[in-house]
Amino acid sequence: MDIQFNAEQLALRDELRAYFAAMMTPELREECERDMGEGGGPLWREALRQMGKDGWIGVGWPEAWGGRGMSPLEQFIFVEEVMRAGYPFPFLTTESVGPILAEHGNEFIKREFVPKILAGEMLISIGYSEPGAGTDLASLKTSAVRDGDDWVINGQKMWTSLAHFCDYTWLACRTDPDAPKKHKGITMFLVPNSDPGWSCTPVTTLGGVRTNATFYDNIRVSDDYRVGELNSGWKLVTSQLNRERLSLINFGPSSLLFNEVVKWARTTALPKGGYVIDQPWVQQNLARCRADIECMKLIVYKQSWAMTEQTLDMADASAAKVFGSEAFIEVYRLLGEILGQSALRRDDEHGDALGRKIERLYRTSSIITFGGGTNEIQRDIISAAGLWMPRAAR
Amino acid sequence: MDFGFSEEQREVQALARQILSEQVTPEKLAAYDEYAAARFDEELWRQLLDAGLTNVALDESYGGMGFGFIELALVLEEAGRTIAPVPLVHHCVSAMMPLQQFAPEALKERVLPAAAAGSLLLTAALSETGNDNAAQPTAVVAAEHVEGVRLSGIKSAVPYAQEAGAILVAAQLDESVCVVLLETGAAGVSMSPVEYTTFEPHADVTLDNVLVPAANIVMREGGEAVMHWLVERTTAALCAHQLGAADYAMRTAASYTSEREQFGVPVATFQAVGHRMADCYIDIECLRLTTYQAVSLLGAGVDASTELDIAKIWAGDCGHRVSYATQHVHGGTGIDRDYPLWRYCLWLRHNEMALGGSSVHLAALGQRLAAGEGLFA
Ligand SMILES: Cc1cc2nc3c(=O)[nH]c(=O)nc-3n(C[C@H](O)[C@H](O)[C@H](O)COP(=O)(O)OP(=O)(O)OC[C@H]3O[C@@H](n4cnc5c(N)ncnc54)[C@H](O)[C@@H]3O)c2cc1C
Repeated sequence: MDIQFNAEQLALRDELRAYFAAMMTPELREECERDMGEGGGPLWREALRQMGKDGWIGVGWPEAWGGRGMSPLEQFIFVEEVMRAGYPFPFLTTESVGPILAEHGNEFIKREFVPKILAGEMLISIGYSEPGAGTDLASLKTSAVRDGDDWVINGQKMWTSLAHFCDYTWLACRTDPDAPKKHKGITMFLVPNSDPGWSCTPVTTLGGVRTNATFYDNIRVSDDYRVGELNSGWKLVTSQLNRERLSLINFGPSSLLFNEVVKWARTTALPKGGYVIDQPWVQQNLARCRADIECMKLIVYKQSWAMTEQTLDMADASAAKVFGSEAFIEVYRLLGEILGQSALRRDDEHGDALGRKIERLYRTSSIITFGGGTNEIQRDIISAAGLWMPRAAR
Repeated sequence: MDFGFSEEQREVQALARQILSEQVTPEKLAAYDEYAAARFDEELWRQLLDAGLTNVALDESYGGMGFGFIELALVLEEAGRTIAPVPLVHHCVSAMMPLQQFAPEALKERVLPAAAAGSLLLTAALSETGNDNAAQPTAVVAAEHVEGVRLSGIKSAVPYAQEAGAILVAAQLDESVCVVLLETGAAGVSMSPVEYTTFEPHADVTLDNVLVPAANIVMREGGEAVMHWLVERTTAALCAHQLGAADYAMRTAASYTSEREQFGVPVATFQAVGHRMADCYIDIECLRLTTYQAVSLLGAGVDASTELDIAKIWAGDCGHRVSYATQHVHGGTGIDRDYPLWRYCLWLRHNEMALGGSSVHLAALGQRLAAGEGLFA
């Protein structure tokens, strides 16, 4: 039992922190802000290619696949630092889909896709959800039908984030409409977003973040674009979601925001004398946040450690997701109370962007409780896998 | 970074779990309900002594096993899981550990081997009426004396005071704090039992000009440091105890709801029930991680004030929520005294409140933040 980083881990953290500090020029920062922390702009792309050259893409991939072979704990340090820096790193492409392609892709995919991903030149959007298939993802209807050597794809996806600037969509399709269990009739494809049969319309969300409805109209791809065995796509979907979960709960940016609010409260004078932080309720809010963020930190550290030791428990992974997502929302609320009215301002009242940050976090946070596997399902997993409680049939 | 246990830690944990889970049964615990008998299973205590489990954190030179606080905390977690009727927290953490850390060598050599062998039971006096700060006593005052110090005043609700041979006591001495090991048989010591929610034996200890010989003085001046040190360890010990108790209550509720049927199905299959239990699981995971963190930092001898406040906040919140949630999903059975859960609820409450509830520790943490300490690295 030793809950502290060792010297090599600290050195890695410092190396990354310095790297990202140099990379995040004011211009790049501004572009990322403008793009609502989603990336996609020219400077963002340039930085990604540079990271590819410097070997900072695929840090967790095995060396045999062209990665750095970092342990989950080291990867976690990487995730923390890149998020702390405020660079919208395309995790879904590089950490979720990429390794699946490297592991399960055919020779064509290993040749045409994998090196480009590692070079920061290939971006992939995720096409799982549909208008009628959300939490019950396995009921998806977008179809792929065999036609000679090709597949013909038709259907609609919903919430296909980043698709408007990605090169391909990682698409879950129904290939066996008669499968006795609906998750046994799904196959994964890579579909070019440049295909004339592909189109997308924007969906704007409360937080201002854009996502998309995407449409697939008789798109024809050869069998080379199929990933994994026919009708065994579900395994790939779930393994991707598990990988995604690790990058979902990070405490770096929250701990930074927390420190900034403490500093603000310690240096901001009240009209009748004293400082904002002298008020007992402010101290109470801050202490609550401090305790919650500390737990978040320990939970993700333990999770990364358990992954490194290959002892990750399913219930613990779900507990991390539920706790983290709900604690974030509470922390943002409590910190917002301290900032008061300026947490309602979309402009920058104090010149330190604090109020504006929290104003936006309020609007962008809700997705974390239902995205990445909704918390209801996570709680189902905890009671079943962690406490052996029987579950109702679904 | 290592969240795992060493070979020795796993052995200590397994041994404690084996002895305690075999020896502590609801039938035996029932003997102490309503103070029918002093809640002290001496036979079990003897077994724990013989197995070395009371002495894991004691140096080998005094008859201990020579491990540290982490190993002891693992024993306490098992004591919490069984709500064992033994004074582990008081004897081992609140008394033996600070004596080993701070007492003069002669005093250590006189009392620690006896405490390790079981011939001397120790405890500590941490509360005074109206004063929750154990490090700043006001109700007991010391006066210099040629042979030592004389103490007068009242310590309230001292655990196992009537069973113990000696009590660690802090007294105000001029502007400073003096800490002594008070022998309970000394002239001028009188006790009157008080009743606690857990049925654990406690007594108010009245000191009427009691002479404590110089040889029993742990620290004549500046004893705040001793008390602060021991309150920190005792707080962490309560967190570890809480962890075991909460985990047991949760697992009991999970199995009960998996068996109990209503509307033709186990009540566990109702999502509202499953989710309430999942929330207990998350709370307990938070308590586990924050407790282990605090314990491992204290064991390493580094400052852990922020981490300890955080652990105790979780011990309070988690204890409260797990207690009510587990009672709730049991329905009436949860509070039926023929079913074992109710005693756990008493302990969850005790550990929540003892040495300060969540709000107290939130306030302390908030003050530290206001002073610019405790920020994230
Ligand atoms: C901004 C944004 C970006 C997204 N990006 C992507 C993306 O890139 N690719 C992609 O494929 N998807 C994406 N999604 C979709 C996201 O994964 C879904 O929103 C999510 O899976 C939930 O599905 P739903 O919205 O259809 O809600 P529903 O499934 O309809 O759920 C509605 C409510 O019912 C509850 N519920 C459902 N089933 C149960 C149950 N069994 N027990 C208890 N409660 C239940 C849910 O928890 C929820 O509260 C994105 C969504 C958003 C908002």
